[in-house]
Amino acid sequence: MSAPATDLASRSGADPVRRDPHAVLEVLNTSVRFGGINALTDVSLSARTGQITGLIGPNGAGKTTTFNVITGLQHPTQGRVFIGDQEVSGLPPYRRARLGIARTFQRLEVFGSLTVFENVLAAAEFHRSWSDDGTPPRQVASEIVNRVGLATVAGARVDALPTGLARLVELGRALATRPRLLLLDEVGSGLNHDETAALGDLMLDLTRDGTAILLVEHDVDLVMRVCDRIFVLDFGRIISSGSPAQVRKDPAVQAAYLGAEASTELAGEPA
Amino acid sequence: MGSELLSFTVVGLVTGCVYALIATGLVVTYTTTGIFNFAHGAIGMAAAFMFWQLWISWHVNPVLALVLVLFVIAPLFGLVIERLLMRPLYGAPTDVTVVVTLGLLLALVGMAQSFWKPNTTHILPLFFHANGFRLGQVLVSYHAVTAIAATVAIALGLRVLFNRTRLGIAMRAVVDNPDLLAMAGGRPAQVQQFAWMLGCSLAALAGILLAPLAQLDILLLTLLVVDGYAAAIIGRLRNLPLAVLGALAIGLGQNYLIEFAPGSGFLSRIYNILPMVVLFAVLILLPQDRLRTASFSGAVAPRVAGLKSSVVWAVLLVVGCVLISFGLSPSNLRIGANGFAIALILLSLVLLTGYGGMVSLCQMTFAGLGAVMMGHLGHGGSLVGVVTAVALAAAVGALIALPTLKMRGLYLALATFAFATVMQQAVFTQLFGTGGNLEVPRPHIPGIPTDSDRQFFILTAAVFAVASVGILALRRSSFGRRLVAVNDSPAACATLGVNVNWTKLTVFTIAAGLAGLGGALVGGVAGQVDANGFVALQSLVLLLLARVGGINTATGAFLGASTLTLFAVLQPHVPQLGNLQFLLTGLAAISVGRDPNGAGGRIAELAAKAREIFGIEHRDPVVPVGAVAGTPAAVFLDEEEGRLVGAGH
Repeated sequence: MSAPATDLASRSGADPVRRDPHAVLEVLNTSVRFGGINALTDVSLSARTGQITGLIGPNGAGKTTTFNVITGLQHPTQGRVFIGDQEVSGLPPYRRARLGIARTFQRLEVFGSLTVFENVLAAAEFHRSWSDDGTPPRQVASEIVNRVGLATVAGARVDALPTGLARLVELGRALATRPRLLLLDEVGSGLNHDETAALGDLMLDLTRDGTAILLVEHDVDLVMRVCDRIFVLDFGRIISSGSPAQVRKDPAVQAAYLGAEASTELAGEPA
Repeated sequence: MGSELLSFTVVGLVTGCVYALIATGLVVTYTTTGIFNFAHGAIGMAAAFMFWQLWISWHVNPVLALVLVLFVIAPLFGLVIERLLMRPLYGAPTDVTVVVTLGLLLALVGMAQSFWKPNTTHILPLFFHANGFRLGQVLVSYHAVTAIAATVAIALGLRVLFNRTRLGIAMRAVVDNPDLLAMAGGRPAQVQQFAWMLGCSLAALAGILLAPLAQLDILLLTLLVVDGYAAAIIGRLRNLPLAVLGALAIGLGQNYLIEFAPGSGFLSRIYNILPMVVLFAVLILLPQDRLRTASFSGAVAPRVAGLKSSVVWAVLLVVGCVLISFGLSPSNLRIGANGFAIALILLSLVLLTGYGGMVSLCQMTFAGLGAVMMGHLGHGGSLVGVVTAVALAAAVGALIALPTLKMRGLYLALATFAFATVMQQAVFTQLFGTGGNLEVPRPHIPGIPTDSDRQFFILTAAVFAVASVGILALRRSSFGRRLVAVNDSPAACATLGVNVNWTKLTVFTIAAGLAGLGGALVGGVAGQVDANGFVALQSLVLLLLARVGGINTATGAFLGASTLTLFAVLQPHVPQLGNLQFLLTGLAAISVGRDPNGAGGRIAELAAKAREIFGIEHRDPVVPVGAVAGTPAAVFLDEEEGRLVGAGH
């Protein structure tokens, strides 16, 4: 079960463009080289509507690079990206966003000089300007600020917020564009146990509305709890994929997470 | 023909070598400290004058004088500016570093003007009494040989320094990561200090070699050195050999153009603008970095005034101007009207740079275009002139914005500066007519008299007041939020579906149009303008004034222009102010390094404090809490409320 193509098995060998029928996102045979370094090598993965797909791996494995390729911030050396039925490989980031992708950033990209509410409001206004959604942006924003649990700090400037809350601002901002595919890059780091649990609930709640989530997360408990499928990256390659249980047992994954401590963390019971 | 070609080649090589020295100095400081030193030329100029002072005026032995300037005074100066001005700037936003180094430029020009009176001629002779040797039929001066030899020696020396010595390798490492260098046992502060000392010495050498070839003139030397920027950019601000090659190519190209271009018409002047055209072209062709991600923006911008308070202040301003207008002399009324026209141009920088984070060094060029249109099409004060002034400036603004949209802070600043220089040297001289003077009428609004100085003063005040209210309303609108968002994080905006380039294009166009309106009014103050009113240097001064006044508030635009007005009013009574103006403006701009929000920001701070003291609390945007109470996340909120509030403050 550790073969990279496992999840894409429905694709017949003759036609590499044959797609995962449930996929709202499909990344095919993507490679990225920075100078002489292979950041990604032949990465293929998909994310499905109404599911949470995990993307895990050690630091520097290429998770954020994958997100950058999907959103168009990084041009791959080779490979293709599909959103729904449409190939987006050549499209600029804003055109891809308008097809319903939204993301958060591991290195924060908040609008620091605006307040929490204005951050989400701005995103709602952006969404209104390019979609046919007629809901007043202020209504969308206040709804979302409440939903992600930021109402008490709504009037605070974001550059004054602690990192954990700023990540929730990015989540709220992404939600304000009503995405069908949400890419979350370590959105839970900086949150305490209860907050992380609430975040997990929120994600599950979103999938019930039909959102597909691709989740990069270091918190193994959270990943194992919420993900339907997991892809594991190591040194820019997909070394394993499958259900949480399958991935947890995969020796290649345990080896990648070097050392007994990490292996037990992966294989053992949630703490 | 052959000997002519040879002689132009020799001159071209010398010019190229001087450009190479300039470019080398710029690259050395930029690669080690990340600061592009706009004052580089001014430092070279000051060094050339210092050398003149020692050698010609005080009769110091020329070799001793040269050693003193190159190896003592210049490095010492580098040491001092690094310690006082540059060190606090490492990691600061580009427009702050641009303003501080421009401030240094102006301060040096001001200081030079008070030491070496601009109206007396200073002559710096060639080295070796202009002796030389014959190469075929061409006399090659030893000065030229010295310039070429010095450049070759320095190029080789720097190569050894950067590749073979610990210090050089540390210099290359420090810009990438000073902290890492420190951990590896290097001393980033000393390395950066050395870079500034070396940079200043190189600037001094270039200035001293250039002065006898051109002319020992303060502004001329300061700006001639600007031609070396193109070479530095060809080397992408890090590749020294490429920069040197580029410098030689520009130097030779310029001199061949002098020989082979026709003796009159547009082409006869093209050699003048060649470096700037190259600079602009290279900037466009340079591969640009990916979308910039969020950066630390330095200071917290002041609160944006609400509609009510901005309207109240605008009305108070106009009423105040009506009241004081009765007590002002016609000349002071004109100075005041000029101040408000300038304030309009500063307001365009508030929008563009203050809110949008884009640095423009060509706002005065847009103003000039506005004045030209008002002059040509505004007969009898017709509003057609005003409308076309705004339209042409906006259209040219859009044209300039299009190829420069992807440029980041410094590159955009340099590109707009190149554009302003080209317009000044090649276009404005034509547009304003051969005599240089263009009659510009005052706009006539039906039913409102604007003919007298008093009426025109009130009109300009009213236009500024309305424009300020408009700009503040724009900032509070969803477009304003988009603008600020694009400035804070272009990458996030793009992934939220925003066409970042389109947003930038729009704001650049609006700002250019506003500057055009200001220019049309500037023209009406004296009834005529000439090309000298709209030179590139003035755009630099405007950016400094905007920063000093406070670039992210309309109040700041008013304060910046007021400073200028105050100088103009006081100057007839205190003649020394003429020189001091540059110096003081420069010094004020330097202070921006420590106080990026300027005077306007200070006032906003005081106002906020006053509100606190008097208990008039400003209301933040109201969020209806509990709109979707009952969802899991709302419960999450309730449980965590105490902690979240605690964490938020």
